[in-house]
Amino acid sequence: MKIENTKAQMRKGVLEYCILLVLDGKPLYASDIIQELKEAKMIVVEGTLYPLLTRLKNDGLLTYKWEESTQGPPRKYYALTEEGKAFLNELHESWLELVEAVAKIKNHQA
Amino acid sequence: MKKTFTINISGTIFHIEEDAYEKLQVYLNKLKNHFGSEPEGREIVADIENRICELFLDKSKGENKVVVIEWVDEVIAIMGTPEDFIEQEGNEEPLPGSVKGKRRLYRDADNKVIGGVCSGLGAYFNIDPVVVRILFVVLLLINGIGLIAYLVLWIAVPKAVTTAQRLEMRGKEINISNIERSVRDEGTDEKRGVQSVADSAGAKGREKAAREGGTGYDLLKGLVKATVIAIGIFLILFGFMGLLGFISSLVIGQTFLSDWPLAIDSDFHLYGTLTQFVSQSTVTWGLICVGFLIGIPLLAMLYVGTKLVFGYKSNNAAIGLGMVGVWLLALVVLLVVGTREISNFRDNSSLSTSETIYPAAGKTMKISLTEDKYNGYKDLDWDLDRFKVVSVDGRNILLGKPRLDIEKSSTHDCVVVVKKQSRGKSRDEANNRIQNIVYHYQVTDSTLVFDPWFQLGSNESWKNQKVDITLKIPEGMSVYLDESVDRIIYGIANVSNTWDHDMIGKTWVMQPEGLTMKDSLDVRRDFLQQ
Repeated sequence: MKIENTKAQMRKGVLEYCILLVLDGKPLYASDIIQELKEAKMIVVEGTLYPLLTRLKNDGLLTYKWEESTQGPPRKYYALTEEGKAFLNELHESWLELVEAVAKIKNHQA
Repeated sequence: MKKTFTINISGTIFHIEEDAYEKLQVYLNKLKNHFGSEPEGREIVADIENRICELFLDKSKGENKVVVIEWVDEVIAIMGTPEDFIEQEGNEEPLPGSVKGKRRLYRDADNKVIGGVCSGLGAYFNIDPVVVRILFVVLLLINGIGLIAYLVLWIAVPKAVTTAQRLEMRGKEINISNIERSVRDEGTDEKRGVQSVADSAGAKGREKAAREGGTGYDLLKGLVKATVIAIGIFLILFGFMGLLGFISSLVIGQTFLSDWPLAIDSDFHLYGTLTQFVSQSTVTWGLICVGFLIGIPLLAMLYVGTKLVFGYKSNNAAIGLGMVGVWLLALVVLLVVGTREISNFRDNSSLSTSETIYPAAGKTMKISLTEDKYNGYKDLDWDLDRFKVVSVDGRNILLGKPRLDIEKSSTHDCVVVVKKQSRGKSRDEANNRIQNIVYHYQVTDSTLVFDPWFQLGSNESWKNQKVDITLKIPEGMSVYLDESVDRIIYGIANVSNTWDHDMIGKTWVMQPEGLTMKDSLDVRRDFLQQ
């Protein structure tokens, strides 16, 4: 059992949650999302993000529109759909439950 | 000095150095292979290319700089390789490479002796090619099947050219690490190997889907596969046997064995016999065309069959289209030749000769056939209507069966009318043929003896020649039909509507209303009187 693997599994579980969190409130372009996630050390390589964005978009949680850029190719600006917002709220709750659960167990141990 | 290329990433033009270009190409192909060729995968790759474009633009800072290998390394570090993605995702799936790949049949050009067929088969069945070679040689020595099989496989099975194909041939999963290993081992063109990975990405996607599917799907897939293989085997057997029989009967008969027998116990040879019917060039062209018309579909069957069973890929569109083209051409030529031949039948002519005979009055005339002098000879056992070819002392003689009808004479005379008919390109030609027809009959005072056959004449070919004999007898005259005339009587009208075959062995009297059977009492009375 590799520690990296377990860590990766944990990160993978919350990564979608984090993407939705980042996009909550304002539409963002992929590089912005990457920037935020990288700062939070949620992802290491950028390539990881694109399949996730595409999947969330295909699942109807995200939507995007093209915007011209002054420098370089047009950019995809991602935003939450209504469905995505509801999904995020549910994740939000389960995240809190999770944190609570972990804290509870930790406290018991302590 | 370094060579540079111009590339277009997401609509932006970059100049890129050769080594950087190759590295980028390999990287992008890896990504394409990883994400698959489904729309989703393509979208992801497009997004990543978009990002790479931005990163390059960022680096050139508005100036028109050339992309160097360091930039590409940096970009790859930022974006990550498929291996990184798998690690990051904590993929539970086994890493590709541990799964045994599907084998495909290719010709192994690296270990070839002649065409690489045996080494390819060896790789496919995972046995030493030497064993396969020995098998082929043995088959070749026994009956030549080995040669045909080898040639067919040589033509039909594609050569393993790319690294991906070489891996497929040995049943190794096509993935980056295998390819790289293989490429390193063989020191061959890296680009080509990786290029073909992108081609096989679709296949990989399907395999993945199959792995994810339930057992029901697996069962169905197995069933379909078994059916496909069964059909394939059937096609192979059918095509192979068909070709073998076909080649031996027609093509060989035409080309180098003009004395190829039609039947085991026969003096007849296909080529020579066919020229009895149609002109020589027609036979030659016709046989060639028929060869293509039948041979090509058989070959195609064999090809599709092997394809189904061994599941190899090949893109021989040119050969396929060429085959279809040749087939159509053969069809057209056959039609042209056929029409030309039919023109030999365009016109017809007939010639009637009448002879009044004087049978002894009051006596019943016996009608019979002479002995069939062509009976003992070998004849062509073809089911042809009233026509036969016999071989007499090595010469083919063409015979036709005459037809005998009996009518009421309009006078008091008894008349034998022999009407000869033939077809030809022109009336003159038909007339000439009629002149060549030889037919005899003999008359005595109370017998009429016909030859069972008329001859078409030497050096003639069959152009639907006919001989119709009409015996016109006056009212009151009676004839006895000998058993032997069964062969030539044809639709003789009579008052009792008796079938030809039932008319023989009986005596018939011409009455005002038509030919009437003498009932057995009459016959007995006549007999007693005599």
